Formats: sequence, C-alpha cells, structure tokens
Amino acid sequence: MARESGLKARAAALAPEPMTVLKQSVLPLVAAFVIPLIFHFGIGPSVGAYPSKVLLDIGINVVLAVSLNLVNGFTGQFSIGHAGFMAVGGYTAGLVTYYGGYRIWGDSLPHGGFLGAGEMLFLVATIAAALSAAAFGYLVGLPSLRLRGDYLALVTLGFGEIVRVMIQQTSDIATDATEIAATSWPSLLWKVGGALGFTGLPFYTSLFWVWLWVSLTVLVASRLKTSTHGRAFLSIREDEIAAEAMGIPTTTIKVRAFVMSAAFAGVAGSLFAHEVGTTLNPGELGFQKSFEVVIMVVLGGMGSVSGCVLAAIVVTVLPELLRSVDEYRMVAYALTLILMMILRPQGLFGLREIWEIWPFKALFRSEAK
Amino acid sequence: MTGILEVQGVSIAFGGLKAVQDFRLSLREGGLQGLIGPNGAGKTTVFNLLTGVYRPDSGTVSLGGHNLIGLKPHQIARAGMARTFQNIRLFADLTVLDNIRIASHARTWTSTLASVLRTPGAIAAESAITEHAMELLDVLGLADRAQETARNLPYGDQRRLEIARALALDPEVLLLDEPAAGMNPQEKIALRGLIRTVRERFSLSVLLIEHDMGLVMDLCEQITVLDHGTVIADGSPESVQGNPRVIEAYLGAPSAEVSA
Ligand SMILES: Nc1ncnc2c1ncn2[C@@H]1O[C@H](COP(=O)(O)OP(=O)(O)OP(=O)(O)O)[C@@H](O)[C@H]1O
Ligand SMILES: [Mg+2]
Repeated sequence: MARESGLKARAAALAPEPMTVLKQSVLPLVAAFVIPLIFHFGIGPSVGAYPSKVLLDIGINVVLAVSLNLVNGFTGQFSIGHAGFMAVGGYTAGLVTYYGGYRIWGDSLPHGGFLGAGEMLFLVATIAAALSAAAFGYLVGLPSLRLRGDYLALVTLGFGEIVRVMIQQTSDIATDATEIAATSWPSLLWKVGGALGFTGLPFYTSLFWVWLWVSLTVLVASRLKTSTHGRAFLSIREDEIAAEAMGIPTTTIKVRAFVMSAAFAGVAGSLFAHEVGTTLNPGELGFQKSFEVVIMVVLGGMGSVSGCVLAAIVVTVLPELLRSVDEYRMVAYALTLILMMILRPQGLFGLREIWEIWPFKALFRSEAK
Repeated sequence: MTGILEVQGVSIAFGGLKAVQDFRLSLREGGLQGLIGPNGAGKTTVFNLLTGVYRPDSGTVSLGGHNLIGLKPHQIARAGMARTFQNIRLFADLTVLDNIRIASHARTWTSTLASVLRTPGAIAAESAITEHAMELLDVLGLADRAQETARNLPYGDQRRLEIARALALDPEVLLLDEPAAGMNPQEKIALRGLIRTVRERFSLSVLLIEHDMGLVMDLCEQITVLDHGTVIADGSPESVQGNPRVIEAYLGAPSAEVSA
C-alpha cells in the first residue's frame, strides 16, 4: 500500500527549540488574552461609551468576516447565509443565559462582576452557540459537496431565510419566574419571542469578551492558513480536481470549513445577543446582515485574514460616520460589490496578508521572515 | 510476474462515444512505460480512469495488489498513484513552495486542533513538510523560485513544478501526461534526464504519455499504443515502431501502402 513517507522521522529530528515554541505558540496565545484586557480596562474607559459601543460592533463584525472568509475566501465556496448561523448561535446563547439565569437566580439580570458567575454562564452560552451553529454548518455544508457556485449560494441564502422564518413562528417569551421554573426545557426552547425578538437578555457582552473572541478567531484563521490543514482549504479554492489528485479529501475539508465558519458565526451571534443597544430579532439577522458580511470578505480579500479585519472595521465605522445617509447603505453595499467584482474580484488584498504587500513589507520584514 | 500497476479490461463510454475499450496494461515495478496514440485516442481518459476521476464501466485496476476501482481520487493518490495534468493544473495563486507542501497533507498525522494550537509536534511536522518540499524543489531545479507565485512561472517551470508536486505525495507510480508539451528542445533534453533521475532516486514506476516520439522511444522500455480507445500494439519501442497498425494509426493510411 502507501509508501512510508519519512516525514515522521524527519519531524522527530526537527523538534522545535523551546524559544521557537514560546514565540510561535505561547506568546500569541498570551496576546490573545492580554489584548482583550487592554480593550476592557484601558481603551474602553478612556474613550467613553459611544466609541466603546462602536468597538463592540467592530469586534463582532471582525469575528463574522474572518469566519465567513474560511468558506468564501479559503475554500472558494460562496456562502451568503452567514447571518443564519449567527441567528442560531444568538438564540441558543439567549436560551442559556435567559432561562438558565431564571433557573439559577430567579431572574434574567446579569449576575456577578467581571468573570463572575454570570459571565461564566455567558461563556457556557457562547460555547453552546458555537456548537449549535456548527451543527447547522454541517447540515448546510453537506449539499455543498454536490453544488457549486450559484447553486450553493442559493442553498445558503435559503438556509438563512428558513432560519429567519422559523424564528418568526416562535411564541412569546416567558417572563414569570415561577412559570419558568415549572416549564420543561424542551417547551422553553420555543419561547423566544417570535418576530418581536428575544428581549430581556442580560447584557454580558463587554469589550473583554468581544475582543477575546476576536483574538481567538483571528488566531485560529491565521494559524490555519499557515498550516498544512489550511493549505488543504486553499487547494480546493485553487483547483478542486488537482486538490483531489494531490490526496486532499475535498468533501471532508469543505464540510470542515462550513462547520468551523458556522461555529464562529454562532459566537458572534451570542456576542450580538447580549450587547446593549441591539435586539436579537429575526429582522436584524436576515439577508441584509449576511450581505454586509459578504461585502467585508469581498472587500478585504478572499483569503486574507488581515484584509477581512480591516474591511470589517471600515464597513462598521463608515456607516457610523455617515449616519445622515443611512438609507442609502444597501445601495452603497450593492455598488461596492459590483465594482469589486468588475475591478478586483479577488478583493483588495486577495490571498495576501497586509504585511505581504509592498509598502508594508519593509515594516514587517523582521517578523514575517 | 505481475507488475506494480495491473489494468485489465477497462472500458468507459461517454454517451455513445466509446472513449476507452478493453484497456490493459501491466507496469513493471521500477519500469518506465510509454502510452502513445494520435490525438483523441483516449490516453488522458486512461489516466482519468486510473486515478479515479472517472469510474470505469467495467474492468479492474490494482496498485501493488490492491484494488482501486471505486476509490475516490484522493484515496488513490494516498494509495501511491500521483499524476500530472496535460493542461497544467497548479494551485496558481499560491507560492511554488505551497504547491508542493499541499501534497504532504496526505502524509500528515497532526490534527487540525494541533495545528491551530501550534503544538511542538505540529511545528515539527510543518518544518518536516517544508524541508521535504525544499528538497524536491532542489531536485527539480526550482529551489530559488520557492516564494514565487506559481502562475508567474515560465511554462517549462510550471510543468516541472507539477512533477515536483506529484513527487511530494511519495508515490509508487507516477503518471505523466505530456510533460514535454510546450517545452523547447533544450528543456526536453533536460526533462529526459530528469525523468530518469527521479525514477532512480525515488524508486518510481513511470507511465508516460508523450507525443514527442524521440523522447518516448529513447526513454521507455515498453510502449502501449492506443487508437480510438483500443490498444493496437504493445511491446518494445522497436516492435511498436515497426508495427503496421501503429504506422497506419499515425499516418492514416492502410498498412499495405505504407509497407509497400
Ligand atoms: N468527460 C468527457 N465527456 C465526453 N467525452 C470525453 C470526455 N473526456 C474525453 N472525452 C472524449 O474521449 C476521447 C478521448 O479523449 P482523450 O482526452 O483521452 O484523448 P487523448 O488521447 O488524451 O488526446 P490528446 O493527445 O489530444 O491529449 C475524445 O474524443 C474526447 O473528446
Ligand atoms: Mg490527452
């Protein structure tokens, strides 16, 4: 059967120095925890309430854009139903913190301070959001094995709409502590507010949590891209037939891309659901939101993690600056999309990261070796 | 004695077109065999059948005694059969190095989670993959191009990169589909040496599709000739060259007139 490749023996002789492990593995992870602390205790308090709110929105959009990029950019499949996964995550997390909160404390208010009991429940809720969205990602990923291009786009669009319509059909939220205590979990699952939205969720979303998830998402995506598993994603986008011929199990990898992407969208949904000033309702998480995320990925670069981060920032901040012309937002998105498709279909940065592009190359040379 | 690659009675039809009929082949371990025939004879289709792109309507294919029929292309690649494409199919937007490293995915044992966590094991695996890829680029004379984007390579280099990428699978059998197409005479001479070198160095068995008869006759010990999807001759270069049916297939004239 298959020949012994000798890669393993080679690897045994190439065990990394402790310093390399520290630099490549440990330090980025430490940074992923320090950056959110800086946002939470440093930047947030000094910039004030409104800019902090914008920083929350930016973070959530970064998670969305970078995760959609795993499918649309890395793997070259065109999904336009990302808000559907976000909704699945948001409602899952809402169920945990709202009814979970009632079961534990008799109300749905935030409990405990920074990293207190309430925030731990929020962490559990966000992980549950990731898992349930991932399960839906698996279901939507399966047809992607047979469908390509426009057809796949339609399936994902349809998925987003189905989720939206299903949520509209749900019934009123239970608000009475004794009633909630007496109701079984399966029947609570349906009490998420219908078209009016799932209101009354505790506001756990803070700069710490948002930027923690941003750091983790960016870390996962960028490490994936520079690893053998990420290159398998990229090979599918480049040439599926050649990828198969080179031993890449393209069907498995495509589903994996969908699952990972959906999981992070679920996280973004949980962050969105528990943010002050947002309402978790089916209208907010419809096609328009999916479209917004697609714009970020197309703008930033199909495959560029840093490009998507930058585009998410721009697409979040610009409408804030141009509030007076907000009604033209969709027109602007559509125009941007059309122009990009004609002029630069690979996105501003294409596959490259920002530091791999000329004016920045010199700046980053020492780190990017 | 059975060969490393054994093909018996393989046929496929596209609609009404019988593209390949009752194809047979026995590739000796370490052998270098040619597959020739006029345009449209079905040569590339044979490669697609061997590598699982198409599933044959009938027939058997086995590699090292293991049946390949019904396996997916990536499974066949992992089982030890690597190929190049007649119409170059590189991962065009990726670097030369990444093109090669992708093929090592099949031989990687680290999990996605380990890659994302950058465990020492995953770091070592990546170093091993890169080292292996750089060695292959060295053999193929592409080492100084490692960081270039594949689509920017000259044509001849793209063809050699395809060979390097196939070698990164650590195959037992290498299928080359017109590797010399579009190359100039010097490049062809270099390619001839290269095919011999890699066969020795990586202990490969090679099946070569090529239109350049000089190259085929010089390189191959055994040649199979296809015409209209059927094997019309099979044997040493000399016997095939003198075979009237082969001459007829290539010249389109009845053999009697040619020999006359
Ligand atoms: N997927 C397909 N569907 C329909 N017909 C096909 C398909 N693939 C190949 N054919 C037909 O099968 C025949 C053999 O094609 P093939 O590409 O194998 O020839 P070839 O010997 O490689 O020719 P060349 O020397 O020009 O590369 C041709 O008539 C071709 O049109
Ligand atoms: Mg051909």
